[in-house]
Amino acid sequence: MSDLTGWWDDYFWSALVILKVFAVSLVMTVILGLIGATAKLSKSKIANILANMYTVVFRGTPELLVLLIFYFGSAITLTAIAKSVNPSIQFLDIPPFWAGALGISLVVGSYATETFRGAFLGVDPGHIEAGRSLGLSNLQTLLYIRIPQMWRLALPSFGNHMLSLMKDTALISVIGLEEIVFTAQMATTVTMKPFTMYFVVALIYLAITTVLTLSVMVLEKYANRHLEGT
Amino acid sequence: MTFDFYLIIESLPEIFGGIGLTLQLLFLSAFLGLMLAVIFLLMRISGRWYLSIPAFIYIYIFRGTPILIQIFVIYYGLPQFEWIRESVLWSVLREPFGCSVIALSLNTGAYMAEILRGGVLGVDKGLHEAGAALGLSARDRFLYITTPIAVRLAIPAYSNDVISLLKATALASTVTLLDVTGVARTIVAQTFAPYEIFLSAAIIYLALTWLIQRGFRLFEKHMSRYVQQ
Repeated sequence: MSDLTGWWDDYFWSALVILKVFAVSLVMTVILGLIGATAKLSKSKIANILANMYTVVFRGTPELLVLLIFYFGSAITLTAIAKSVNPSIQFLDIPPFWAGALGISLVVGSYATETFRGAFLGVDPGHIEAGRSLGLSNLQTLLYIRIPQMWRLALPSFGNHMLSLMKDTALISVIGLEEIVFTAQMATTVTMKPFTMYFVVALIYLAITTVLTLSVMVLEKYANRHLEGT
Repeated sequence: MTFDFYLIIESLPEIFGGIGLTLQLLFLSAFLGLMLAVIFLLMRISGRWYLSIPAFIYIYIFRGTPILIQIFVIYYGLPQFEWIRESVLWSVLREPFGCSVIALSLNTGAYMAEILRGGVLGVDKGLHEAGAALGLSARDRFLYITTPIAVRLAIPAYSNDVISLLKATALASTVTLLDVTGVARTIVAQTFAPYEIFLSAAIIYLALTWLIQRGFRLFEKHMSRYVQQ
């Protein structure tokens, strides 16, 4: 424990960084998953093909590779564009925070697409027809009939996707975000205690994933409250 | 900035060279992981608290932390201890390959144990009782009734897990191993052509994923041959 003296605040701030990445990518994952599921269920052939390509590609490629393509790819594209506008610019990139958050969201979003698709299919078609006959628009059916019923069905799988998302945030250190792994590396070079330093990182992740798991359990209980006693 | 197809063709043989290492990591960790998974599954369903609690803790820890951190703790972390550097295990733990295999096996073992448990719990109780009525011992019931059915039930989830494992082998490149991702990163560092090289690497992973899925679908068909559709 004494090895950690003086490093607690660094760990704290860098844990906040990964939580920020998590929060941002969670929102993006939900949006991507909803778009993907809608595209898969739509009648348009093109939307179906695009959504299928999206899920096949991002479910079959390592997260690390996706991050590397996003970060380094965007860096040379942006630099080339910037150079054509202003030749004095040497280097321009998407900040690792955003490249990383987008990368892991795209990967987990492809899993969420399948989950949401299944959940949308689980909503009783009769309810949607009932909505139609009451004169609700497509958007209103989505907001008041489909989503309130599908999130309950999606929750168990989506809880697992949230855990993957949380654990994937560790990868962003590879493209240079100064987060918790970076703190451990820095602390190691000073204290020469790599095990202690990386083990703390593992414990922090374990604590966060425990809280997430418990929250999902509480949410599931809340979502299924109408089924209690049946 | 142009997309250089010639560069792809030029560097493909080099990237292909990494497939060997990727597959070694995959097969070795899948095999060792499965061994671990079976052991921990048996501990978990043994009904004895001094076996099931350690198994639960192992699964909980390895599923709750990122695999990258597990690799780092083992590869960078363990040499901190003098007694590890002097033990016989040091010849394995000194090498990034050994460390990656250990980390990947431990990680996938935790996931696979839960998958197998799902399979075992999915086996109809009536079949078990039928076995007991026929006078089979508990061991025979487990081997001849539970196992074949549990394996069939676990295949879809297991195949997803092998694909996750394939994707996780890419992390071995962070501890200097030259697998497909590692080779690709080296070439990008020399040529600074991320699109061409990383996309080629991604296509290799996609092809491997497809092969794994195909293989497991055939296996599942074989295991379900007596199930009426």
